[in-house]
Amino acid sequence: MDRSYIARGLERCTTRRFLMWLLPWTLLLAFGLYAAGLCLFKGLNQTNMDNRFAFGLWIFLDLTVIALGAGAFFTGFLVYILRMHELKAVINSAVVIGLVCYSGAVTVLMVDVGQPLRAWFTFWHPNVHSMLTEVTFCITCYLTVLAIEYLPLLLKNRRLRQVPSFLVFEFELHRVMYVLAGVGTFLSFFHQGSLGGLYGVLRGRPFAFREALGVWPSTFFLFVLSAAAVGPSFVLLTTWLVEKITGHQLVERTVMQKLGRLSGVLLIVYVLLKTIDTLVWMNRTVPGEGFSPQQFYGFEPFGVWILFAEIVVFGLLPAVVLLDARRRASQAWLLTAAGFACFGVALNRFVMTIQTLALPTLPFDRFLSYWPSWQEVGTFLAVVAYGVLVYSLSYRYLILFPQERDLKAR
Amino acid sequence: MFPWVNGFKWDAGHVIFLGAFYTVVMIVLATVVRALVRSRHHVRVEKVEAFRWKQDFHDLPARDRRCRHELNGEVDSRLCENGFDCRSCAKHPEFVQAAAARADLPKGELFGFPMPLDRLYHRGHTWVRKEKDGTLSVGLDELGARLIGKPERLDLPELGQHLNANATAWSAARNGATIRVLAPIEGTVLATGGPDQGWYLKLRPDGPQPDTRHLLRDGEAVRWMSRELDRLQLLATHGACPALADGGALVEDLGAALPKNEWAAVCGEMLLEP
Repeated sequence: MDRSYIARGLERCTTRRFLMWLLPWTLLLAFGLYAAGLCLFKGLNQTNMDNRFAFGLWIFLDLTVIALGAGAFFTGFLVYILRMHELKAVINSAVVIGLVCYSGAVTVLMVDVGQPLRAWFTFWHPNVHSMLTEVTFCITCYLTVLAIEYLPLLLKNRRLRQVPSFLVFEFELHRVMYVLAGVGTFLSFFHQGSLGGLYGVLRGRPFAFREALGVWPSTFFLFVLSAAAVGPSFVLLTTWLVEKITGHQLVERTVMQKLGRLSGVLLIVYVLLKTIDTLVWMNRTVPGEGFSPQQFYGFEPFGVWILFAEIVVFGLLPAVVLLDARRRASQAWLLTAAGFACFGVALNRFVMTIQTLALPTLPFDRFLSYWPSWQEVGTFLAVVAYGVLVYSLSYRYLILFPQERDLKAR
Repeated sequence: MFPWVNGFKWDAGHVIFLGAFYTVVMIVLATVVRALVRSRHHVRVEKVEAFRWKQDFHDLPARDRRCRHELNGEVDSRLCENGFDCRSCAKHPEFVQAAAARADLPKGELFGFPMPLDRLYHRGHTWVRKEKDGTLSVGLDELGARLIGKPERLDLPELGQHLNANATAWSAARNGATIRVLAPIEGTVLATGGPDQGWYLKLRPDGPQPDTRHLLRDGEAVRWMSRELDRLQLLATHGACPALADGGALVEDLGAALPKNEWAAVCGEMLLEP
């Protein structure tokens, strides 16, 4: 039925089967939209957050999703600025992942902040000294850039390119893609950094507070680096997942290994800097604030194990595996290491968001616990469903993996 | 946000932060507007077909972009970077010279497959023949004709229309798909034919001596066709051309022999439409 919209030479399932695949995700999206609607119309009393525990599941997952979506800017930077042409095999998919991650994160933020009709206030009366203002501006701009980067993929659809103006516009956009990739890299550097920076400047939260390097706390640079490190790993994992679901090989194995190696190099640098940062924090920052580091790890379940897991198990180990060419050649090792790296960055965002807020900082404070309400979970599930739907439609009707046709013919 | 908005101050924070923001916005805006303006201009001056071919050629898999001189054995491995337009290729004259010294180029027919050498062949499975009256006849080669078979609809260009090389010459609809055929050479359409006439277009060339350096001729055309038959065998998995190597013959109408989807994909690949 929709065959004329699918690029020649690409094998796709029947329309009926595709609709069956979309159905559960559409239902999940509908459920999530209902949950988000409750939060928007009835207010944040629908959530389990309060004035003391103001960041919950949404912010933790937003930060994770934005870090994982960094594959879009980093792959774009490598392809268009550093001219690593072999990564063209995954750049389209990386753009879709980035678009899904960022648009989903912005939507959840909109529900979290509330009053979406007043969203323009942020732009009209910006507090230029706030990390959150920088995040808001950069994410909005970068989402616009991602939408423009997505446009050529869309216009390349078999039917759409029959329209002469679309065909030529797609060509012209493609020619200026290096400009957009450069702008995307600039914006991503600042918003990834500012997301980390906003924890680092929390002087009232000594668990998160970090000393400044220049005008930015160290978490600014650690967030940028960790996002760049796991971006390629997430692109690798999603590519493998799509291959498994569709039963088609989509990219050369060498491309997967290249992504793994890039992740490994950046991850080892990140682990090194994170270790130095932790040591400085333990021996200088925390004592300077009148605390001892052990105090922060005395509240179960957040023991020292979480620090060990974050730096060693989900940082150092995957980095070592990804840097070893022999291990990288094995798909099981490659995928496990990439999965560990992605989990590691998620754990880091969890620690920075949830553990920071749960720990007491004043003598009369107590250790807090928080469990998200079903509305919070539902809202985030809507983003997951939305992501799967957009990616599925893009995969079916657009050319996300230029090597797919070639690999099929072999 | 703006100097006249409440809360704005002319301090370093506002100037640096908003300055960076406006710079980014202006760069993005200028980039998109530039692309829009250029697109509008290209559509107006009718460059769409040139862009279509540029894109199509760029999207062709590497195996479909082999240089004609690789097929001919003058170079071990070479990808074409000029959209199969050897007239703009710096290396082409060198290869032609090398080829002139060779005497082992095959001639004649191929597996009982007619390959008349009174004409020049284009990589998109069309041919050009210079007629005595100075016009150019354009048609589908035998493989192209068997690929498309009997089309349900044929969209031929209008008389007087100017065609550029590698632009869409005509399109054929069949099995719910539309297949476009590339023009092998530039010229103005004088007459249109069809499968029954043996030719599809009569063109008036742009000059008295049309430049045909990009077209395949003589033995190299035979060698290329042999490679194309191999390629077709790899692409068509449903036994439409099962035994060419063993003396079998290609079926007369691939459109009828292959499943619809596979036929459209094979046509796209063979006629250089990714």
